[in-house]
Amino acid sequence: MLDIQHVSKSFGRVAQPVLDDFSLTAAEGEFVSLIGPSGCGKTTLLRIVAGLLPATSGDVAVAGVPSVGPSRDKAVVFQHFNLFPWRTTLANAAYGLEIQKVPKREREERAMRWLRMLGLEKYAHHYPGEISGGMRQRVGIARALAIEPKLLLMDEPFGALDALTREHLQGELQKIAEQTSLTILFVTHSIDEAVYLSDRIVVMGTHPGRIIREFAVDLRRPRYDYNFRAEPEYAQIRGEIWGMLERELAEDEERSDAAEDTTPMETPA
Amino acid sequence: MISARTLRDPTMLRIGSVVAVLVLWEVLGRLDPIVASYPTAIVAAFVELAFVDNTLWPAFATTLQGLVVGFAISSVLGVAIGFAMGRIRLVDLILDPYVSALYATPRIALVPLLVLWVGIDFELRVTIVVLSSIFPIIINTYIGAKSVDRELLDTGRAFAANGWQMLTTVVVPASIPYLFAGLRIGVARALVGIIVAEMTAAVTGTGQLIIQYGRFFQTDKLFVPVIILGLFSIVLAEVVYFLQRRATPWANVERIR
Repeated sequence: MLDIQHVSKSFGRVAQPVLDDFSLTAAEGEFVSLIGPSGCGKTTLLRIVAGLLPATSGDVAVAGVPSVGPSRDKAVVFQHFNLFPWRTTLANAAYGLEIQKVPKREREERAMRWLRMLGLEKYAHHYPGEISGGMRQRVGIARALAIEPKLLLMDEPFGALDALTREHLQGELQKIAEQTSLTILFVTHSIDEAVYLSDRIVVMGTHPGRIIREFAVDLRRPRYDYNFRAEPEYAQIRGEIWGMLERELAEDEERSDAAEDTTPMETPA
Repeated sequence: MISARTLRDPTMLRIGSVVAVLVLWEVLGRLDPIVASYPTAIVAAFVELAFVDNTLWPAFATTLQGLVVGFAISSVLGVAIGFAMGRIRLVDLILDPYVSALYATPRIALVPLLVLWVGIDFELRVTIVVLSSIFPIIINTYIGAKSVDRELLDTGRAFAANGWQMLTTVVVPASIPYLFAGLRIGVARALVGIIVAEMTAAVTGTGQLIIQYGRFFQTDKLFVPVIILGLFSIVLAEVVYFLQRRATPWANVERIR
């Protein structure tokens, strides 16, 4: 479904790429998380896949079709919700369909279906300024799902929410993922969240941004029905990823120290 | 003594202040009516001008006509130019020198030149209103178009909006508060522009009325158009404010939880 081949990204004249030769494939219906320290290029990769940012080199294909700019088969859920403050909940949820020129009645019906599913029907005519952060992100999710994409791109979607709301929405996202055949690429910096939601976790490192290792998460689904954190597999994966990220941070510091050491002195002794 | 209660509900204090000034003006004004006139004489002059010899309303209508037509042109044109400059770099580069230079020039200095070009009547009023009000509208719209939240632009793009859709669904709605700031400044400038033009070049209109009464030391009559203009500019500001609230129903909403 999603096929990322040898994608690299450099900004300006900085020698070291933000992303170096990144390749990843995801099957239809698969939930893949990208996790890594800040600066590992996980958001950059998501923006490239979304078509918001051109890759310096490499290819992205969705359902076998090369994917360059934004398109209808992809939808993005943003970290800071990015609702249009001048649109009501319903008009925000229907935004993507409006852009696709779906007639008003039809798009509102389709958007409303998702709002109902996310428990927002009572707030259909409220403005974003009138509803809580958790509700706003539900609108953000409804807006993405309303265009019925094949690929859902989520950029730390629950990062700006309080812990309780976050967990609640993680559960709802799982239910949605179960009921649809959506392929989901999910950026996060929470190991817990990645393990809870993903079929596969891609751990990334910095300088340059690259894949360190992939983990398959075989915990049985649905995971909101039991205390998955009590499972030995949870502790094991969590521990491994944690250790890996810690090593990566330490090595990254050494690498940057080494880089400083080789910097030529400006005034010769 | 001013009690705490009076300060909590200052209505009485305000009325008292106005009444005191009016009384003082009445008393002092009568000492030399040509210098400052006095309130009762002004009211009498108003009744005379407004209802007896019918000079006030035709002059006011002349001014209003120029103002409405000129401001309509300047709103439509100013908003369009502002968005074009804000969104299309080429347009920005081409127009920026003129906008900056004309914005900095006191437009009133152009009146003698405009008289040569368009005469002293309706066309002069419209031209001076446009020149007075279009630049704040252009510049505020431009700033609005330039300062649209990057994340909202990304959102429009992510949903595959084309250029026109980006403009209508993201840039324009996001710029509305700026646009209205421009209109508010513009309407005030327009009024100043048209009155000064009428005072310096025209033979009719509210500005000319003020000049004539001043020339003949009819101080009581002079105050009538001045006060009418003051009240009128308050009304104009309120109209723009009302339109802004109608156009941005999301701006003053209360969060439920």
